[in-house]
Amino acid sequence: MESSGVKVAFKDVDVVTTGTFGAMCSSGAVINLGHADPPIKIEKAWINDVPVSHPGAAVDLFIGASQVSETEPFEYGGGHVITDLIRGKEVRLRATAPGTDCYPRTRLDVTLTKDDLNQFYLINFRNCYQRYACATNGTDEIIYTYMGKLLPHYRNANYSGSGELNPLINDPDYETIGLGTRIFLNGGVGYVIGEGTQHSPTTGFGNIMVKGDAKAMDPEFIRGASFTRYGTTLYNGIGIPIPVLNEGIVHKLAVRDEDIYTEVVDYGVPRRGRPTLRRVNYKELKSGRIDLNDRSVKVGPLSSVKKAQQVSEGLKSWIEDGWFFLTAPVERLPSDTVFKPMKQPKGAAFVENIVQEAVTCTEDEDIEVVAARLINRNANHVVVVDGDDKLAGIITSWDLTKSIADGGDGLGDYIVRDVHTASVNEPLETVSKRLAEHNISALPVIDGDRRVLGIVTSEDISKLVGGRALG
Amino acid sequence: MVRVMFRFDKETVDKPITSQVILEHSVPINILSAHMNQRGGEILAELDSRSAEKVIKAFREKGVTVDVRRLIEKDDELCVDCGGCVSICPMDALMFDEERSVILHEEKCNGVTCGLCVDACPQRALRLIG
Repeated sequence: MESSGVKVAFKDVDVVTTGTFGAMCSSGAVINLGHADPPIKIEKAWINDVPVSHPGAAVDLFIGASQVSETEPFEYGGGHVITDLIRGKEVRLRATAPGTDCYPRTRLDVTLTKDDLNQFYLINFRNCYQRYACATNGTDEIIYTYMGKLLPHYRNANYSGSGELNPLINDPDYETIGLGTRIFLNGGVGYVIGEGTQHSPTTGFGNIMVKGDAKAMDPEFIRGASFTRYGTTLYNGIGIPIPVLNEGIVHKLAVRDEDIYTEVVDYGVPRRGRPTLRRVNYKELKSGRIDLNDRSVKVGPLSSVKKAQQVSEGLKSWIEDGWFFLTAPVERLPSDTVFKPMKQPKGAAFVENIVQEAVTCTEDEDIEVVAARLINRNANHVVVVDGDDKLAGIITSWDLTKSIADGGDGLGDYIVRDVHTASVNEPLETVSKRLAEHNISALPVIDGDRRVLGIVTSEDISKLVGGRALG
Repeated sequence: MVRVMFRFDKETVDKPITSQVILEHSVPINILSAHMNQRGGEILAELDSRSAEKVIKAFREKGVTVDVRRLIEKDDELCVDCGGCVSICPMDALMFDEERSVILHEEKCNGVTCGLCVDACPQRALRLIG
């Protein structure tokens, strides 16, 4: 919709339908099982081996989309259970209970379909974000994230969101979308039941909480999903009608992909404040390539624009068929809130807290001199540097002993040159994982120019963990 | 190296075609896996890039179906056209068309030698063949 056509559009268009289809981890479903005979007050429960929680009384359960199966973790989870139920498949429920006077039963093992459930309501507490950050990875290794698989050295980038089709981006001031707005939710009718958790409209990251009768949903628009080495989630298709009440709304509905900016963020830095590489708009993202550090990089989405269009068209046909009615919000959603970070918990520790000065040498030094330096400093690793103090390799005391035993005449043959490294701002959990994965005991700490700043050893991490819990 | 799938039917499975091709053309064929019975079967093999064309032609002349492209299989029922595989593929074998559907261009795919896309698919709609 071009802005020149605002008056025409206001006169001719009554409703604009929007849509999005993507992974929304904070989704879930409440189910009520009815009572068994003898009855049970469930304490622990699993559906298809996925732990489900029991937030209410005896037989109400909540299936969280991101809860993973105890037998197939990362591959099957709550999102798949919800999808299987919607598809009409049979699922296996197991439960245990302490047994009480009024609820004597202690065990339950039963197969169920959605027809056996009293209520089966999707209750998604954070959905439909108006935009997402675009993720890339500056480390030396592939990382698996909730933003998908990211290749090393910024070789790809992933984004999410439907851009100009997204419901909330078309109503950024929450004039028409509010508590009670009737919506298209996964092929069935749903409602907005408030702001979503982490709703942050002032930073352009608004989202909503929704609910809908899952029994009436269409499996074409709701799919369990697995993100390798991250976990499971649920793809939802959400469409929201926006009534064209005034010319101001027409202006906002004219939003285009090139107007919607987001940040390209380095997910290789596992910190709350990840570094931003650049700003980018959804038109560039949807083109399939963006420039990162003067290089053209492939960029792909994790949400489906094709499905988002089907959602929006599906909603349009419901309205045209005359049975889906728009509702005015009962209450407006907040438009002035911000998502606060967590109060800093105790026990978080980073490389900068334990980095030690490294014992260093250059490649041309004598073996004996380097060995003496190791002994004097009571260390096990020597970091090899070039003339500019940049990382050239690493030698362990074992390598040095071997070179002496071999009667070698230089360090050259014993230097490990393909060195795994750490940076000062990394959490120790990440560093421990890297040490274990590569079965090594130390990592040189370097800066962006590969200058050596120090060393972290598994010994130092263990001491810290021994002294106080890492959280 | 080129990975190919030789498919034998009831007629061809009884004949020593693979050894005939090796002897007639003096070419190496590295067999990675083979599944056979009286009704037919398939061999996944690796061919030297320089002689691949010659070998494929020789097998086809002897009545064997040679599949060079179907190395990654995409299940269109499972695929939701999200594009989680698109940025990962180094060969541009997984691309959007104008309707924003994800299309697998089999002729560009490196198959088993790459496989980067398989665990990038949130719907598990991509599968390596062989």
